[in-house]
Amino acid sequence: MFLRNFWYVAASDQEVCRQPFRRLILGEPVVLFRTEDGTPVAFEDRCAHRHLPLSMGTLVGDTLQCRYHGLRYDKTGACVRIPGQDMIPVSARVRAYPVVERYHWVWIWTGDPALADHDAITDYHWLDDPNWGAKTQYLHVKANWQLIVDNLLDLTHLAFVHETTIGNSALVEHATVKVERARSNVIVTRWIVDRPAPPTFVKVGKFTGNVDRWQIIDFVPPAFLRLDVGATPTGTGAPEGRRAGGISMRNLNAITPETETTSHYFWGQAHDFDIRNSRTTDTIVEQIRTAFLEDVAVFEAQQANLELMPNRPQTDINADTGVIQARRILDRLSREEQAMPAAGPEAAPGVAAE
Amino acid sequence: MSNWHRLASASDVLEGEAFSADLAGTPIALYRLDGQIHAIDDVCTHQYGVLSDGFVEGGTIECPLHAAQFDIATGRCLSGPATEDLRTYQVRLDGDDVYVLAPDR
Repeated sequence: MFLRNFWYVAASDQEVCRQPFRRLILGEPVVLFRTEDGTPVAFEDRCAHRHLPLSMGTLVGDTLQCRYHGLRYDKTGACVRIPGQDMIPVSARVRAYPVVERYHWVWIWTGDPALADHDAITDYHWLDDPNWGAKTQYLHVKANWQLIVDNLLDLTHLAFVHETTIGNSALVEHATVKVERARSNVIVTRWIVDRPAPPTFVKVGKFTGNVDRWQIIDFVPPAFLRLDVGATPTGTGAPEGRRAGGISMRNLNAITPETETTSHYFWGQAHDFDIRNSRTTDTIVEQIRTAFLEDVAVFEAQQANLELMPNRPQTDINADTGVIQARRILDRLSREEQAMPAAGPEAAPGVAAE
Repeated sequence: MSNWHRLASASDVLEGEAFSADLAGTPIALYRLDGQIHAIDDVCTHQYGVLSDGFVEGGTIECPLHAAQFDIATGRCLSGPATEDLRTYQVRLDGDDVYVLAPDR
């Protein structure tokens, strides 16, 4: 199940350059490159002539030339040159996707182009903000995107999967949890008061005693999870709203489905302490990456079982409240999208104009 | 012998929010609706979800796991997948203290 009428992260800004590259996004092959003035472009990665991926071709100025017979396409996806002939058939065009560069990510819209509104791009400003140190990463995951969404909404798993970095038993045994929901939003607020800090926090925050730790998970569909996480020395008023000393970070996740069984996991970490120290940024990101690789092993093993034994019943536990509320929103959005009339002729490539 | 248990201060029980408590070993929750305090079982009769972790909508509580709904004032099960009603308990206010009557064994 894919929700198409949403912006997704297609790539990091660094990946998109003058060398075209291919990525599967929501099951569709896409070629990404930049024009000479640096504008990112995304097309269907398939020549309208004989289907070769255009990503195997070369850029000639602002046009992408197919490796097979040399057809050239401009940034709107229209073929503008066919070697050996002057007339270009109207059907010689490929679908061009709306793309926007923001927060060091390149965002793509694969739904009905008439509905693409730049204001709907989820806010990840911490990744591009002088008040924060931040870095982004990419992980390829051989698992369905919803398994990753589930993982970020139930943080009790940290105590079992990430004991060497961000987890400890206090997270599951001593947390107070509140789940709030709105029509298309779920917020899970977790507090662990007066408990030991996990190894990553000790390393980065230099805590010597117990801490008050918070984890506030904000989910917006389809797969954006922005976590406000951190800790202060216990008893300094954090649960009452005072974050004095300690550390405060944002763990920012943007999952883009590749296929029904694989995903592009874009994520970043931002910190508001020691912001100009790139070694701090690197240490934090390395710790979180270690944890996320542990999650990837979990997702891929879940996926393998789900493929061997589809549609087995599953049991819900109390920690699943946030996970379940997010899935209900996604199910509703899927029903609504399926009930919409199909997009107009502009969205179908190769249809001759009347 | 009195089976009334003091479980909360009146100020603990906010309008439209659940306050979970232990009534002599039984998990219950207190709710304030239109100024009146009600006490009902806190464990969903379907698959043991914690109702006080759920969602208060008007006079109903929705289980956070599978969305079964119960009427707070009467404990009646209003929608599946649950089918059994919740028990309700008598509540008495004495000054700022909220007392709940535990049923005889």
